[in-house]
Amino acid sequence: MNTINWRLIYTHTVLIIGVIFMSLPVWVAFATSTHDAETILRNGLQFWPGTHFFETYREVLFVEGGVMKSVLGTTMLKNSLILGIGFAVGKVIISMLAAYAIVYFRFRLAAPLFWIIFMTLLLPLEVRIIPSYEVMAGLNLLDTHTGLIVPLIASATGTFFFRQFFMSVPDELLEAARLDGATPWRFFVDILIPLSKTMIAAILIIMFVVGWNQYLWPLIMTTKEENYTLVIGIKQIYQVLAEGGELPQYQKAFALTILATLPPVLVVLVFQNWFVKGLVESEK
Amino acid sequence: MKLRKILVAGMFASASLMSSAAWSATDIQWWHAMGGRLGEVVNEIAAKYNASQSTYNLVATYKGGYEDTMTAGIAAFRAKQQPNIIQIFDAGAATIINAKGATVPVADLMAKHSGGFDISDYIAGVRYFYADSDGKMIGMPFNSSTPLLYYNKDAFAKAGIANPPSTWEELEAMAPKLKEAGYVALAQSHSPWIFSENFHSRHNIQLATGNNGYDSTDVKILYNNDHMKMHWSKVKEWLDKGWYGFYGRAWGDNQDAFVQKKVAMWLGSSGSFGGLTKSADFKFGASFLPYWKSIIAEPKGTFIGGAALFAMSGKSEEENKGVADFLAFLTQPEMQYFWHQETGYVPITNAAYDLAKKEGYYNSTPDAEIGIQQLNQPGGEWTKGYRLGYYVQIRDVMYKHFDDIFSGKASVDDAFSAMEEESNDLLARFHATYN
Amino acid sequence: MKRVQFEHSPIPYLFIAPQIIIIVVFFLWPAAQAIYQSFLLEDAFGLSSQFVWFKNYSDTVFSTSWLQAAGFTVVFSTLVTLLSLAIALLLAVKANEVIHGARTYKTTLMWAYAIAPPVAGLMGNLMFHPLIGDLYKLMNAIGWDFNHKLDAFDASFVVILISVWKQVSVNFIFFLSGLQGIPHSVVEAATMDCKNATRRFWTITFPLLAPTTFFLMVINITYAFFETFGIIDTTTRGAPGGATNTLVYKVFQDGFRGADLGGSSAQSVVLMLIVLALTVVQFRFIERKVHY
Repeated sequence: MNTINWRLIYTHTVLIIGVIFMSLPVWVAFATSTHDAETILRNGLQFWPGTHFFETYREVLFVEGGVMKSVLGTTMLKNSLILGIGFAVGKVIISMLAAYAIVYFRFRLAAPLFWIIFMTLLLPLEVRIIPSYEVMAGLNLLDTHTGLIVPLIASATGTFFFRQFFMSVPDELLEAARLDGATPWRFFVDILIPLSKTMIAAILIIMFVVGWNQYLWPLIMTTKEENYTLVIGIKQIYQVLAEGGELPQYQKAFALTILATLPPVLVVLVFQNWFVKGLVESEK
Repeated sequence: MKLRKILVAGMFASASLMSSAAWSATDIQWWHAMGGRLGEVVNEIAAKYNASQSTYNLVATYKGGYEDTMTAGIAAFRAKQQPNIIQIFDAGAATIINAKGATVPVADLMAKHSGGFDISDYIAGVRYFYADSDGKMIGMPFNSSTPLLYYNKDAFAKAGIANPPSTWEELEAMAPKLKEAGYVALAQSHSPWIFSENFHSRHNIQLATGNNGYDSTDVKILYNNDHMKMHWSKVKEWLDKGWYGFYGRAWGDNQDAFVQKKVAMWLGSSGSFGGLTKSADFKFGASFLPYWKSIIAEPKGTFIGGAALFAMSGKSEEENKGVADFLAFLTQPEMQYFWHQETGYVPITNAAYDLAKKEGYYNSTPDAEIGIQQLNQPGGEWTKGYRLGYYVQIRDVMYKHFDDIFSGKASVDDAFSAMEEESNDLLARFHATYN
Repeated sequence: MKRVQFEHSPIPYLFIAPQIIIIVVFFLWPAAQAIYQSFLLEDAFGLSSQFVWFKNYSDTVFSTSWLQAAGFTVVFSTLVTLLSLAIALLLAVKANEVIHGARTYKTTLMWAYAIAPPVAGLMGNLMFHPLIGDLYKLMNAIGWDFNHKLDAFDASFVVILISVWKQVSVNFIFFLSGLQGIPHSVVEAATMDCKNATRRFWTITFPLLAPTTFFLMVINITYAFFETFGIIDTTTRGAPGGATNTLVYKVFQDGFRGADLGGSSAQSVVLMLIVLALTVVQFRFIERKVHY
């Protein structure tokens, strides 16, 4: 009896320490954002919430000049949402199609095409950003949502993921379907997609976060401030902090940080069941 | 019936033609790097300009910090999407000015479209930094500032010191008293700008071959000289004695130390006093950048930091006219005075300076004048500034080796030798790109 | 590969086309340009350029600052990978055992994943701020003369800590699902055979987790090499004295900040080759030991 109790205590202790380690920074960021700038400047980060919650968040979200004169926090939120959702959905569709083709068909270019896709993991966007920008400008896609989203879909992560999963689906399923006279398209739509529901949820979540957190690409691609995303707003506040010369608006920086973190966190929370199950299926 | 229809159609057509004429103002795109409060003032300037006339519509867009803005401008230019006006900072001057054909010199633009351009209208300290070796102004200085010394008057009173130091020798003498009163004597916010570039200007020392880099790109840096090394050995000595504080490379970190009353004196920019007024809860004053009496008896002026506005080429004649029109608007004394008051940056024309004096601005805010006075101090051969390529990377090299000096990892001699070697490698590379 | 596949169908080409087209237009073409640029010496605005073969490579790649960055990158990536994997594994195992509060633990341990790297860096920066950072004060209070602006070790500490913090969540999620994928029958049989939990873990659970671990190792090394520049940019920026410069941050510095496109392209190509080599090594030598 005694041994079990100790073990349980040890387990919970480890977990609690883990939770504190991972969550404390986020809590402190929130608490600090509810104070005013002078307090933070004098006394540092705060552990307990202050009295400026509404004022700060209202300024950041709804007041012009809260962050940058011409852009509201809500506008940037909207832009980030469009980017995140558009990117996630686009990625799922394109990757599923490509993975299906690679796994379920025997065709001449299968291997080389697969390697081409794999190569995209090796050269991150930051490195090819200026040529990418030139391509977009040439296609007249600057300052458009399409232009923001489509180039990001070029990387292989989603395709890889779905490939792993499709590989783990039993062959019998396909044999049975063929016996029934199913065409490739039917098999895909009627059998494979429903089977992949949890995988799709997992990728949607991951890719939403990736799209949401983009900084460099939206900064370069958008020439009008009303197209800026939330992460850009945060970076700008940080820029002002670093360059000094003004009363650092730490509380606004933290408020924006919390706002920027909320939707991805919510998405993770809401879908977490599907998420975890989705990953389980592919690790067989 | 038919006649009436034609008449009505004609009325509509002419009405829409007239309204479209009213709304067909030419757009002028202006990319800038002014964030926060500065960005707000920029937007106000744009609004004022647009309200003053209806031919052009100025659109000001914040593209991030200085480096982000320059990169965005470069990417845009390569993709033929460049804005009309772009704000480029001092470290990027060589890159944009040496790219023949990337910009139209503002002197030419204004001579052609704004009825003339006379460089003597501009105060001495700002004239030549963004000019070519013939003295023609390529970029128009926009947010110009110069290094100044700020001191905590309360701390001075506590330590029993009457006046801020005008020489480094004086600072050394008063540092122990400040230390006793519980303060670190000095901190500063931009080692390359204040302790290197303007150090050379103040003491009238050449900092690069080829006329400080103006004459050609085949130049070498001359920072590895005895005066610099003496100065930095002293600074390191002060750091060890607790007379000098280093709070990180970021500008804000060192300014905070002053605001938090950890240091009694701080070397910042002439534009800093606005922010200090809001954030410091003690009395402070501004004074000139100190110098070593042992090196020079009568110090020379300093030059400007900050950024300038460049007119990008490849735009239509109509748009170029708009750019010239806006620049003419911006350089009016009233606009310069407005910018000066709101931001603390110096007014770049003599007329604007006179206006500020006439309006009694310096009676109410004497600190605001110190920067201009320092810029107007007698110039020497080497107070014009510098023109060095890959200077962003060179500043990084400098920061790196200054870090090593501060942490004791390298001796002053070794650090400067390494700095010289790496900087000259960068300069050689830059030179190779143009030949 | 699958034994059963469709043949003689135009569908695969159709299905794979969208991805390939996007890759060609938005990856291969810009990547080719970037690689081509690595052989050029040109001014930032593209107005004058000349072909210089491997000059960019020899100029920038073997300079002292590059070698310093390379050294730090190796140390940094190793530590970040090992630490975040180890911590995540520990937490996942514990979270898997516990019954009460399992949902809460899992949720709160997952959400750090949602935070963008610049944001994580900003938070860390302010927490270690010499004037207002509580962690900074804490460090000095426990006697560690902490100054990450001047001391290379302290700066590395900050950067590694923040990177690990960000990565633990992702690894945690994958490890957890890997653990939950082990069939109950196996767990029961193992518990009957081996009473000692620790031994059970190392002889049975861990080998079963090997595929997940291997996958994560590849992902983590890639993360440490490529994705961490956002954190470095908002915290130390390579200070002090270039001690916390990583290779990818140098690429960013030279290309994005310094407008030296040829130099930064050359560095990225080298970086790409290094990561490629690392991946190949991992697949060849380590995957062999992994039992599927």
